[in-house]
Amino acid sequence: MLAGLLVGSVVGLALGMAVHRTPRARSAAVHVCGLILTVPSLAMYALLLALLGTIGTLPVIVALALYSLLPIVRNTVTGLNGVDPAVVEAAQGVGMGRWRRLVSIELPLAWPVVVTGVRVSAVLLVGVAALGPIIGGPGLGELIFSGLRVITSPNAVNLALMGTLGVVLVGMLLDGAFLVLTRVTTSRGVR
Amino acid sequence: MPAMIELEQLTKHYPGRSAPAVDSLDLTIAEGEIVILVGPSGCGKTTTLKMINRIIEPSSGIIRLQGEDVTRANPDHLRRRIGYVIQQVGLFPHQTIGRNITTVPRLLGWSQQRIDDRLDELMHLVGMDPGTYRDRYPKELSGGQRQRVGVARALAADPPVMLMDEPFGALDPISRERLQNEFLRLQEEIRKTIVFVTHDIDEAITMGDRIAILREGSTVAQYDTPETVLAAPADDFVREFIGSGAALKRLGLARVRDVELGQWPTSPIGSGREAALRALASSEHGSVLLLDDRRRPLRWVRADELEQPGSLERLGVEVRGTVEPTTTLAHALDAMVGSRVGAVVVVDGSGALLGTVDMRVIMAAVDTMRTDAHEQDREEVPSR
Ligand SMILES: Nc1ncnc2c1ncn2[C@@H]1O[C@H](COP(=O)(O)OP(=O)(O)O)[C@@H](O)[C@H]1O
Ligand SMILES: [Mg+2]
Repeated sequence: MLAGLLVGSVVGLALGMAVHRTPRARSAAVHVCGLILTVPSLAMYALLLALLGTIGTLPVIVALALYSLLPIVRNTVTGLNGVDPAVVEAAQGVGMGRWRRLVSIELPLAWPVVVTGVRVSAVLLVGVAALGPIIGGPGLGELIFSGLRVITSPNAVNLALMGTLGVVLVGMLLDGAFLVLTRVTTSRGVR
Repeated sequence: MPAMIELEQLTKHYPGRSAPAVDSLDLTIAEGEIVILVGPSGCGKTTTLKMINRIIEPSSGIIRLQGEDVTRANPDHLRRRIGYVIQQVGLFPHQTIGRNITTVPRLLGWSQQRIDDRLDELMHLVGMDPGTYRDRYPKELSGGQRQRVGVARALAADPPVMLMDEPFGALDPISRERLQNEFLRLQEEIRKTIVFVTHDIDEAITMGDRIAILREGSTVAQYDTPETVLAAPADDFVREFIGSGAALKRLGLARVRDVELGQWPTSPIGSGREAALRALASSEHGSVLLLDDRRRPLRWVRADELEQPGSLERLGVEVRGTVEPTTTLAHALDAMVGSRVGAVVVVDGSGALLGTVDMRVIMAAVDTMRTDAHEQDREEVPSR
């Protein structure tokens, strides 16, 4: 799951940075990422299974990465556009090139908003990832599915419940971890 | 003085606008001068300024810096040779004051030692203690302190040119005046070529060695020293823009040392009453100035007061509110109006009497300024 989030973050950040200046590219990117999120997870897994021709870890990572895009892209765009234009102009005025400006000024200032996007994605993915085992991948859902498979046994409810609680717990832990991460990676000057 | 910046036929058309924001502007800015671009809001001052460091690309025309055509030079390299200060300051909020100030030296790859030394020097230059402020963040400073940091950041790599767009415009009147004065003192030291934008004619007069009064389309209505602009406005537009009180504004530019001082009868306090009466009798003034043995003025005494009994040290009124040769005539006038005798005493550094400023001195000064400006106007070949 973390691998999916990592891939999604890198791709989402890059996409957000690429489109944030042009209004048309910006709305197109956000729309497409929004569409991805409406594909039901089972259908997505099936689709990727067919597309990649393999079961197991790879399609799960790709699916998770795709699902994580919307919050990350949207927050990257919002964060970058929220940077004070006077600060950007000053950076331009001291002779920072476009790339350097982005990396050393705009991105650090947009950072709290970007990480919030990643955090939302992480929590979102926990639920989606639970279904990973359906296509032979890893995932917390294994417990739930074991429970479902032995639905008639007295253990079934316990297994499913444990799996579900586990998913919720992981979600909460991740959320907390990201809050801490945001705090330690944000400059004291913008907190 | 050689030209530092030359603008030739500089023009900016914004897309979707019929009239150009800057229309074929020709302007030459001499090395070491503060040139003020002043004019009503929307006349194209900011656009003109931002074309000099190419934050806005000109539609046509040429920009020369130290004789070199930089119209198509690499803009990032160009900007490292030009300090840039804007009204909103634009400090990097996530970086400390120290890092903000050293931005350009770090971009230029200076050694750490050189950067540290320069940081100390710059912070002292703008009157901020490095130990106290270096590691603070912008949000922990007042507006005036932020703009000091903005100026330090612009000066960091010692660029020959500074562009300033209403740098003190967002400050309260008291901080603004303080920063204006500090900046003028700083300029005495650093002697940069400065292009300074403001919409405030009073700021233009205070800050400028030369002011360009612009109208719509950044067209130059008059380009001259503040004294001349005030004394001989080129046309009705300039006259209206200067507004009322031009004569008073000129008194803010002239200094006591520039005018011929009035002389009042004086008498050493130690020489007694008779000497004072004799001094008074031989002049048309109604009061005599009593001096101590080092010619420092002590008291104003009228003839009728000299008739009264009592020690000379108690007669008349004490001399207060003296001015020095560097005081502006506006301040001298203020002191004069507030004094009982209608004159203010001018003293040198040791407090010894140099003369007085009274109404006649002020009127003579206004007259001279008027004639000077007209003569200068006639001699000069019109540059527009
Ligand atoms: N980016 C822009 N796009 C279109 N028009 C602009 C832009 N910037 C300024 N203008 C117009 O150009 C004119 C000059 O603006 P500006 O240089 O900002 O004037 P000033 O600084 O003297 O107030 C104004 O009419 C303004 O509306
Ligand atoms: Mg402006």
